[in-house]
Amino acid sequence: MRKTPDPAAAVDLREVHKIYGTGPDPVAALDGVSLRIDPGEFVAITGTSGSGKSTLMHLVGCLDTPTSGRVTVAGEDISTAGSDRLARLRNRSIGFVFQAFNLLPRLDVQSNIELPLVYAGIPRRERRQRALDAAAKVNLTDRLTHRPSQLSGGQCQRVAVARALVNDPALILADEPTGNLDTANGADVLRLLADLHRSGRTIVLVTHDPAVAARAARIVEMCDGRIVKDTAT
Amino acid sequence: MNWFSGLLIGLREIREHKFRSFLTMLGVILGVASLLAMFALTAGIAAGWRNTMQQLGGLERVGVSDKQVSLEFADLAALSPGRTLADAEALRGLPHLVSHVAPEMQTPATLSAPDGQTVSARVTGTWPDNLTVSQHEIAAGRFLTDLDLERGARVVVLGDAKVAQLWPDEHGTDADFLGRTITINDRPFSVVGVLAFYQREEDRRRREAAAKGAPAPARFAMGGRSGGSGRRDMFSWKNESVIVPLSTLYHEFRSGQPETPPLAMAKLDYLNFRVRDLQRFDETLSAVQSLLRGTRRGVDDYDFDTREDWFERMETSLRSTQLSGGLIAGISLLVGGIGIANIMLASIAQRVRELGVRLAVGARRRDVFLQILAESTVIGMIGGFLGLGAGVVLLDLLGRVAPLESPPVIEPSAVLISVGFATAVGVLSGLYPAWRASRLDPIAALRYE
Repeated sequence: MRKTPDPAAAVDLREVHKIYGTGPDPVAALDGVSLRIDPGEFVAITGTSGSGKSTLMHLVGCLDTPTSGRVTVAGEDISTAGSDRLARLRNRSIGFVFQAFNLLPRLDVQSNIELPLVYAGIPRRERRQRALDAAAKVNLTDRLTHRPSQLSGGQCQRVAVARALVNDPALILADEPTGNLDTANGADVLRLLADLHRSGRTIVLVTHDPAVAARAARIVEMCDGRIVKDTAT
Repeated sequence: MNWFSGLLIGLREIREHKFRSFLTMLGVILGVASLLAMFALTAGIAAGWRNTMQQLGGLERVGVSDKQVSLEFADLAALSPGRTLADAEALRGLPHLVSHVAPEMQTPATLSAPDGQTVSARVTGTWPDNLTVSQHEIAAGRFLTDLDLERGARVVVLGDAKVAQLWPDEHGTDADFLGRTITINDRPFSVVGVLAFYQREEDRRRREAAAKGAPAPARFAMGGRSGGSGRRDMFSWKNESVIVPLSTLYHEFRSGQPETPPLAMAKLDYLNFRVRDLQRFDETLSAVQSLLRGTRRGVDDYDFDTREDWFERMETSLRSTQLSGGLIAGISLLVGGIGIANIMLASIAQRVRELGVRLAVGARRRDVFLQILAESTVIGMIGGFLGLGAGVVLLDLLGRVAPLESPPVIEPSAVLISVGFATAVGVLSGLYPAWRASRLDPIAALRYE
């Protein structure tokens, strides 16, 4: 197995350990994980709670850095990156979709979608236009001035998807995106992710639900901080 | 993200929580209001003092006074003729430094108007320059002239209050009294001028306001001319002036008595002069000093009365007033700042998840820091502006409840300083909450319930 990461990969983890806590009783959330995801792949990461899939997602999402090993995201080695560099990567290269939507309740739909562009320093006029385009992709152009509290759960998650893709990231990370939705809305969101995959984006979907994982082209199963199964469907 | 978007976010937060934000600002509002009121009150007092001083002759007026000769030279004291007209004549020899010279002799006398009352008064004999040195203002007629002086003319210029005392039943204009004859110690004098009525600025305003309320009889309802007001203030010496030419006073009332020296050697009661250029104040005083050394035959028996000491005392007392007022305002601002910091900490605790989302979509730590700091700055600034309004209202209320000696003056610098302090309080009280917010761990913040 190669020890140096491949910059051509969308995501490349080499012998990654993540240990929480110090002292006599540290917890190894990731215990030597190596995983390569190529650009344009649609990968589901599954496992029970405590399997390490969330920790893996945090590393892939540049929200955290590994205790040891190397993590490369969009060609950049983030193993030792500072918080500003991580923030820039999250901003430019990654779009997040969360289980709890995580929209800002006091902003309307348009401003929520624009949020990543604000931190990218995009001028207001361009922000408006790109938010409009993203809203059109998730079919929400008629809800731009609504606030999240005025939307259904399915609509909220579509706003979140629009926010995730507004910055045109190479990688979209979805963490239990259907967890808070009914079956119909869940299917809706999964269809959106599949559309994004078809348009060439890399999708990483974290879920404990085998039915949801089945939508991906490749399923990585985790248990106790290790990858136990990596299958193409 | 820049400052501007930070400010927009801050404004939106404030709009979302209007009442909470108002409560947060209250300390700053009260602080700025008291700061502004304090500045306005002291500025008003200072303006009143400056005005009073100007009417009393201004900084340029210098008096030559007597000084006790020190013991070791006591035997020489008798050599000096003292303050005489010779001093005044000598001062005229410095026209480039001393613009006006006004020697004064005074004598108590009985004034009588054939068509009015008989009153006692202190009659002043002086030179025409006294008009400028004492900052007299002629309401009707004229002041003394060189010709009056040369001739020893029996002419008199009366203060407004003296006119009121001599003719208490007449309420005509000042010009009506010109040309009348009064007697001073039984010698007839012709009234050639009447001085303006001197009063403090706020008295004048109060009278004017009263006059507006009841147009015609107001002047007399307030006690007629100034003589009836019954109040003796620092201008009474001017309002009760009875001024004649110095030569006239000397020849009519002083000479002929035994042992009277010639006019040039006669003692003066006062000797005032006006410095031409305040920039050369010290130079002028030392020139006058060497001049007087000549006329006093080297005896050091004179001193100068300047308004500088008075001015300094005034400044000191103003400063201490400002200091105590500033302290109160400062404590209020401090409390306001603590309030802002407290609310900002509570507010970020409430918004941990929001901040987590912002971090997840690419906000850097400094963006979060800036956002919280901008919010507290906006709170401070808005509090400052509301405080200005509150300060104006406070001053208005104060003026209604307790009429002020001097009306408050709101200077632009006071406005700038007050709002500046409020903004600074906003910035300072936001620093710690902003730092706390910027240290949030994005993963923990996203999981926060």
